[in-house]
Amino acid sequence: MAEWVRAADRSACEGDGCVHAVTPDGERIVLARWEGEIFALEDECSHQEFPLSDGSVENGQIECVFHGAKFDLRSGRATQLPAIKPVKTYPVEVREDGIYVQVG
Amino acid sequence: MEGVTEHLNSDAVQALASGEPQWLQNRRMDAWASYERTPMPTTRLEEWRYTNLDRKLKLDTLEPLGWIERSFSKETAPDRLVAEMEADHESSGHLVELDGSVAHVDLDPALASKGVVFMSLRTAVTEHPELLEEYLATSALPAERGKFQALNAALWTDGILLYVPRGVQLEHPIRVSRWLSESGKALFSRTLIVAEEGSQVSYVDEILSDDLDVQSLVSSAVEVFAKDNAQVQYVSLQRMGRGPFHLSQQRTIAGKDSTLDTLNVNMGATTARLDLNAQLVGSGANSDMLGLCFGEGDQHFDHNTSQDHVAPHAYSDLLYKGALDGKARSVFRGIIKVHKGAQQTDAYQTNRNLLLSETARADSLPNLEIEADDVRCSHGATVGQLDQDHLFYLMSRGMSREVAERLVVIGFLGEVLSKLPLGGVVAKLSRAIEEKLHG
Amino acid sequence: MPQNDTITDIGLDEYQYHFITEDEPVFRSGRGLNEKVVREISAQKDEPEWMLDFRLKALEIYNAKPMPTWGGDLSNLENVLDQIYFYVRPQEKMERSWDDVPPNIKETFERLGIPEAEQKVLAGVGAQYESEMVYHSLKKEWDDKGVIFDSIEDGLKNHPELFREHFGTVIPSADNKFSAMNSAVWSGGSFVYIPKGVELDTPLQAYFRVNQEQMGQFERTLIIADEGSKAHYIEGCTAPVYSTESFHSGVIEIVVKPGAHFRYTTIQNWSNNMYNLVTQRALVHENATMEWLDGNLGSKLTMKYPSCYLLGEGAHGSVLSIAYSGDGQHQDTGGKVIHAAPNTTSQIVSKSISKGTGRSTYRGLCQVHEGAFNAKSNVECDALLINDTSRTDTYPYIEIEEKRSNIGHEATVSKVGDEQLFYLMSRGMDEAEAMALIVRGFIEPIAKLLPLEYAVELNRLIELEMEGSVG
Repeated sequence: MAEWVRAADRSACEGDGCVHAVTPDGERIVLARWEGEIFALEDECSHQEFPLSDGSVENGQIECVFHGAKFDLRSGRATQLPAIKPVKTYPVEVREDGIYVQVG
Repeated sequence: MEGVTEHLNSDAVQALASGEPQWLQNRRMDAWASYERTPMPTTRLEEWRYTNLDRKLKLDTLEPLGWIERSFSKETAPDRLVAEMEADHESSGHLVELDGSVAHVDLDPALASKGVVFMSLRTAVTEHPELLEEYLATSALPAERGKFQALNAALWTDGILLYVPRGVQLEHPIRVSRWLSESGKALFSRTLIVAEEGSQVSYVDEILSDDLDVQSLVSSAVEVFAKDNAQVQYVSLQRMGRGPFHLSQQRTIAGKDSTLDTLNVNMGATTARLDLNAQLVGSGANSDMLGLCFGEGDQHFDHNTSQDHVAPHAYSDLLYKGALDGKARSVFRGIIKVHKGAQQTDAYQTNRNLLLSETARADSLPNLEIEADDVRCSHGATVGQLDQDHLFYLMSRGMSREVAERLVVIGFLGEVLSKLPLGGVVAKLSRAIEEKLHG
Repeated sequence: MPQNDTITDIGLDEYQYHFITEDEPVFRSGRGLNEKVVREISAQKDEPEWMLDFRLKALEIYNAKPMPTWGGDLSNLENVLDQIYFYVRPQEKMERSWDDVPPNIKETFERLGIPEAEQKVLAGVGAQYESEMVYHSLKKEWDDKGVIFDSIEDGLKNHPELFREHFGTVIPSADNKFSAMNSAVWSGGSFVYIPKGVELDTPLQAYFRVNQEQMGQFERTLIIADEGSKAHYIEGCTAPVYSTESFHSGVIEIVVKPGAHFRYTTIQNWSNNMYNLVTQRALVHENATMEWLDGNLGSKLTMKYPSCYLLGEGAHGSVLSIAYSGDGQHQDTGGKVIHAAPNTTSQIVSKSISKGTGRSTYRGLCQVHEGAFNAKSNVECDALLINDTSRTDTYPYIEIEEKRSNIGHEATVSKVGDEQLFYLMSRGMDEAEAMALIVRGFIEPIAKLLPLEYAVELNRLIELEMEGSVG
């Protein structure tokens, strides 16, 4: 069942371009901030399973540092080869006591 | 230090080693030091590219199963274990290992009088230290071969020693039945087989378990030596329930004009990793390497084999087949390595995979490294679905699609079994495949 | 019985492209790679700001990426890279007529037979000398039809939108350490656009020559074959032999739009002191075909795996390669096909010959994504070993996620059979002739796909190499 879990402190992902790895409920998720909004994606590049949280954010996309694949932060769609397949995305809410993501 | 946990640590090694002879204590401690030094394999290593241990193995909470004085009786043993043991045909000897401790051994007295040794490894420490000192975790699977080889060499609790003296031939197979019942544990067991010159033996190891709610690790280290002119067949049947992570590390060393064949069957466990290195060190050595796996659900099988041709005029032929249903995944990574000077090598390697569902996956990496020119080497790999022509033919003979599909899968995997006719094994596995097909 | 274990040293003596042209470059960067060099290159080319940023970011990526530990022996490469010149500008500007090319450079290409071939069999020619294209020309009839065949620099200047839309999208800088290096210091190479429906009946050719010692060449090529077009591009590469090592690292990006057909042929015959580390990739759309024809004969070490991303339904990709590794050479080559759409087909055929202490490695990937139903792929690798000191390796990666696919891979390793040799010699051939005949037969399935002039040239090279291979 989908449930909201607290993933990080609000201070963990401040400032545009911030990338932060979290593991709420055992799932590996990367939080990324772009234009004031926080996105949550599966923390694993669909090309060769490298953690996206080692990469960087630009133009609403997260880039995998391993081979340069990029994913749209909102949809998880692959926007740059060598990745072709999308990565999973998760709904995010910023609440008083922290950043929540909906997992499961 | 990666992989050092609350339960897997040098204290655990020391506890096992206390009271053991000094050479063995040293061997364990050296192995542990090697374990600590070696980083945990990641998917960035070629050999672990498709098996992410970080995800698949929860080492942190595993408690090693200690050695316990156990006995075996059919009345108290698990039904499934007893049923499988009774399905076995005649044997020259039988051994039962329960949760990592040997509970029963019997051996044909005529063989014992000829000098055949078949006993628990623990007993062998006092009764045959000279054999263990020479062969156990030394030339075949020393700790330096890898992280998990080191872990097993440091933490093994029990296992099997089979020694066949020069010229002795065993009419029936040696049978070993191993059972795991506990969740959340780590089991470290070793098998050492030494077949002296001109001897002959078949060995069938079967490991079973119920389904486990929490992952257990089963680490099996297998060392097989076939001396000049010896003939050895080693069979491993892994038919555990769901839950376990099975890590099987095998090295076979084939001497001059020997035959050393292996069959590895993976049907059970959630994750099974096989590392098999067949080294042909004597000219005229001969190794057939057979394997099959049948996966369903979220099973993950990773086979890492090598055919290591050190000596000239040797022959090896590998055939591994996999059938995959559900979200199951198989990996085959095999290498034929022909060293400099290993002229007149004949080495072949075939991997065939059948995908039975939309979500199954097969990865195949058949590799060749050839440093001699007068060789015959080839490899082939295929991945595909059921042979449609075959299927339609059977259906045209009045079979339902379901039955026809089942038959084609049995035929596909059966090719492997037909190459190793060994008392009871073929019938047993055919039945196991059918059971799995019926879900 | 013929003996083929006594091998006399061949190779360097017979390398026919060893001649050094005396010249004086108009600009040369310092040795080694650093930010200053990158800025100099960009300034020399008078580039827009975005390209300088692109280069600088790529330099950062290059510095951050570790040296590959797989493939060939790169252990001495960092030392080599510290010594080489990353940018050498041979003349002020690119010319459209051979008459305007400085005489010594022009003579170089005449010795290589380029202007002659241009007149006879080519639709267009580009010639690169050190770091820059010194000559680029396209026959008028193709120019009139809107074909663009230009240096990469002129592509950026004259077609900025088309250029920017595709540049770096097929191969991102971060793809690998050497694509990052190329992205930082690229210079020279071609920009090609084949308009919709245009079919070229003769090939375009680019010729790459490195003349100076301790030189790095970093060509960058971007090709767009628009819908329904058809063309063939050939590249050739040579350099003089020096005792020090040189370096060549190209990035070739190709977009094959729906229904188009593109063939890219490489006849690489670098001198045996050259590291040749190249990234080549094509995006292949619906019902389009991409063919890589890859001949690797020269260099000290080549690492190159042309790839086809079959993104559109019905796309077809093929990689046909011949590798020849003589003494001291390592050809680590192969191909990659990624099936990401239904009804896609691919073929990889690799033939390698290893002689003396040569080593040929096939490294390849065949990947079928879930949903790419009816994907078919066939891979065949054959390796021929001439001596007991030769080596060959085969490392295919087969990754299949789609049940409704049909994927096969086969490889064989063999030596030239004594019976075969004996038979041919009994027909009056000497051993070298017999050996050359057998090797020619071995590569024939691929060689026959080359334009006649190149097939003849390839056969001649094989004959030269086989002389003295049997004693």
